[in-house]
Amino acid sequence: MNKLLTEFSDEELIKEYQDNNTPEAYDILVKRYKDPLMNFVYRFVGDRDICTDVVQDTMIKFYLNKDSYRSFAKFSTWIYTIAGNLAKNELKRRRRRIIFSINNSDDERSPQIEDKMFLAPDKAADGEIRNEIIQKALLKVKPVYREVVILRDIQDLSYEEISEITGLAIGTVKSRINRGRAQLQKLLKHIYRE
Amino acid sequence: MKKIYNDEENKFSKMLKDLKDLPNIKAPDNFEYNLLTRIQNKNFGTVEKREPQFNWIKFLAPSAVAVSVIILFFIFLPSSQENNNQLLQQTKLQDNQSAVNNSPSAKNELNNQQSVPSNTRIQPNSSSLLGSNNQTVKPSTRSPLYDSRSIKLDDYISGANKNRSNTNRGNIVNNGEESSQYDGFVVSEKPDKKTLERYRAVVDSIKKAQLKADSLKKVQK
Repeated sequence: MNKLLTEFSDEELIKEYQDNNTPEAYDILVKRYKDPLMNFVYRFVGDRDICTDVVQDTMIKFYLNKDSYRSFAKFSTWIYTIAGNLAKNELKRRRRRIIFSINNSDDERSPQIEDKMFLAPDKAADGEIRNEIIQKALLKVKPVYREVVILRDIQDLSYEEISEITGLAIGTVKSRINRGRAQLQKLLKHIYRE
Repeated sequence: MKKIYNDEENKFSKMLKDLKDLPNIKAPDNFEYNLLTRIQNKNFGTVEKREPQFNWIKFLAPSAVAVSVIILFFIFLPSSQENNNQLLQQTKLQDNQSAVNNSPSAKNELNNQQSVPSNTRIQPNSSSLLGSNNQTVKPSTRSPLYDSRSIKLDDYISGANKNRSNTNRGNIVNNGEESSQYDGFVVSEKPDKKTLERYRAVVDSIKKAQLKADSLKKVQK
């Protein structure tokens, strides 16, 4: 039974942290989930600094509310739910700030994808630019669709996991993913020509 | 259904491949250090648990419901006041009488009454009062008239109740504690003269027969 903490599953680690308040268990979980959460939140929010703050807040929330985790759920879905909710709140806050901002210029309000959308296909094929275009197009997709598309197509989670994270029925998740993909494809029509 | 989603995935295959190939964003190197510093300094920012603030709407909504329930309770509460209807009171009195008859003490009293023949004894537990030999006996109904406050008209005319102290008579207004009684007149009909004479003749003939029998016994002795 002399199993190393690093060999523990996520659920075993959170149980260890809940029961014995072992800081090492918390550290290991933070190490395991900081990068996937950064990727998810960045794709959702589109700003690296805000993304770092959101993930930090997620980890603090996990630290403060460790007892609210119930063992019947997967740890990954629980932590993704926290991160997703914080990211959505951040988006709402930003939207409010944009509406009430006096110095709100038109450049800030309109996404800056359009100019790059009209790049020649050979230029658009360049990896870095393409990724940038995709990310900006992703931010134009409605948040309800964007979240599920990121979870499915970037984070590679199953429909069941997405259903648990979002609290939606699997059918709704599938239809939202489909609509989100359709919206994204439409936005990226210059790249993905038939 | 599954086929539809698979077809959709094929439709977006290029885009999905690009989405999967997007570079993974990694946390900054000082991420954990900053996190642990925040935890040690208890700098939880906006994540910290918020105390629930007092909300007037949340307070007023349930209290309004409670108040309305109390008001409705008092409006629709069945009144405990006694009904002053004389006829209803009379039925109540009769019910009470039957309840007394049903009580064990009343049963004992009835059993102790040896003078009453068994075939006419009142069975206390039935409303129709069935006798022991299935002979129905009518329950004795109490007079609704309050004796001390009523006058027998015949006696009054003939002057038979001159000496009767009738202190309660006319005292209609009472203090409410006493159960009110029906005030009225009793008109008791006198029997016919013919039937009286007939009964008297029968009694006289019996007496005469008895006298004859007595005289015969004396003669025999």
